[in-house]
Amino acid sequence: MSGIWIIAEKKEHALELLTIGRVLAAQMETKLSAFLWKDQNVPEDYIACGADEIMLAAPGSEGQSLDAFIPVIAAEAENNHPDAILFAATARCRDLAARVASRMNTGLCSSCTSVAYDAADRTIKMERLAYGGAAVQKVICKTRPVMVTIPPGTFEQAKAEAGRTGIQRELSTPAPSVLKVIEKKTKVRETKDITESRVIVAVGRGFDKKEDLDLARKLACALGGEIGCTRPISEENHWLPEELCIGLSGVQVKPDFYLGLGVSGQVQHATGIRQAKVVAAVNKDENAPIFSVADFGIVGNLYDVVPKLLEALKRV
Amino acid sequence: MPTIITCFKWVIDEAYIRRGSSGDLDFSAVDYKISDYDRNAIEEAVKLKAVHGGTVASLTVGVPEATKGIKDSLSRGPDKAFFAADASFNNLEPSQTASLLAAVIRSFITPYDLILCGEGSSDLYTQQVGPRLAEILQIPSISFVQKVELKDGKVVAERRVEEGVEVVEAPLPALVTVLPDINVPRIPGVKDTLMASKKPVVTIKKEDLPPFPAPCLETVEMKAAKMDRSCEKFGTDAAEIARFVDVLRKKALI
Repeated sequence: MSGIWIIAEKKEHALELLTIGRVLAAQMETKLSAFLWKDQNVPEDYIACGADEIMLAAPGSEGQSLDAFIPVIAAEAENNHPDAILFAATARCRDLAARVASRMNTGLCSSCTSVAYDAADRTIKMERLAYGGAAVQKVICKTRPVMVTIPPGTFEQAKAEAGRTGIQRELSTPAPSVLKVIEKKTKVRETKDITESRVIVAVGRGFDKKEDLDLARKLACALGGEIGCTRPISEENHWLPEELCIGLSGVQVKPDFYLGLGVSGQVQHATGIRQAKVVAAVNKDENAPIFSVADFGIVGNLYDVVPKLLEALKRV
Repeated sequence: MPTIITCFKWVIDEAYIRRGSSGDLDFSAVDYKISDYDRNAIEEAVKLKAVHGGTVASLTVGVPEATKGIKDSLSRGPDKAFFAADASFNNLEPSQTASLLAAVIRSFITPYDLILCGEGSSDLYTQQVGPRLAEILQIPSISFVQKVELKDGKVVAERRVEEGVEVVEAPLPALVTVLPDINVPRIPGVKDTLMASKKPVVTIKKEDLPPFPAPCLETVEMKAAKMDRSCEKFGTDAAEIARFVDVLRKKALI
């Protein structure tokens, strides 16, 4: 027995995993199985999008935590010996993956940016970022199953194909976990989702006080974009909400144009803007690391430069 | 009164890593630090002690040179430290780190009420050691926590998930991994550093622990991430600003 498994709570994440799962399953000449929670998703959709087999888990009861499913997943894996298990790297699934990996004494490669089968040595090679994004680490797993978490947005969502068939089977209902979810507070977004923004003006420690962020807002407005920030601005100063914090542990953005104002360019932040098409920066310190990851840099005080930029943009 | 264990990792400060000419990583000028989010874990442990009393023990597994990290951790408020030190405790993989931490806790720091860890380390950021440690110890774990309280033999924590926040409760003993915005870690003063040198440190040798497992993961390559940018600089006078705006215009960005 073998196979590739995917585990995600949300359908959009599962479809991304089915895309890479399909590739691996074809190369490794094995089947693709999807684990899903019965109440949330339609098994037939997953089959149409590439799954050969659906493992249906009992719906989690009210207040039940995902960790109740650790023994169910581990037992299924012990019995069926999958080659690899791919998890969506969402908060609850990252936690679940680490605990299942520990229970099964196997390796888990977290937040992989690429997963590829190497037919020459029959291993799955995975890449991920390390040292705050300064390095790319290539990893293999010497134990089975190979476990992986993949951040949402890494792969395209699989599309439905007509005529695909697959089998479904139900898994046992787990005993309740001692961990109880006693309240859920749904986030009310105060701001636009900047992961989709075309232009982002990011503010950093170069700003002296909260009121001065208006300068950045005006510039963002003139450029037709949104504002984002570095971690100290959201976390220490609380000047902007945390969902605007750009970086490896914040949001990773991919605008056409990123402009950093008073941003030093620490590696974690720089990693969050890797996928920007054009990066520009204004910083008074000519040795600021941001300049080494920027296409265009203005060496100067943002309080002097931004009004000049606003003026020059008016003339365009 | 609770016994709180706060785990930390002594890591390379990534700000000092340079990109070598052939795309390799240059570690020649690096310094070390307590991993960023582990400082939040230590701070939170000390804050909980201020409310509930009890004791806080810091714990790390690492090479003997990490003794600097032990002193640093103690200057941040814990009462004592446990240090599993061996030259072979280098480049440990998450499954090995969790296994060693569990062995130390079982043999030297039991019973305990709460284990705090950072949500991930600032070097490899695998975000696994906390939940793996909880799984080995067979205790509940709550990850990505922005607020934590102890009441009536339970831990109540706000866990940040994609949709918002979940308030989660678990019986003690339990493990919690904290997010960086749970608190602002203190910056130890001279007095804190002096006090730290008087606090007890239990050093544990490899021979005092059960054999630890072989690594599951193998790093086959570690190279500098490529960031190909043109790095063109501009001044601040009117002509330079105009040139900057012109470049943006030509790129159809404005």
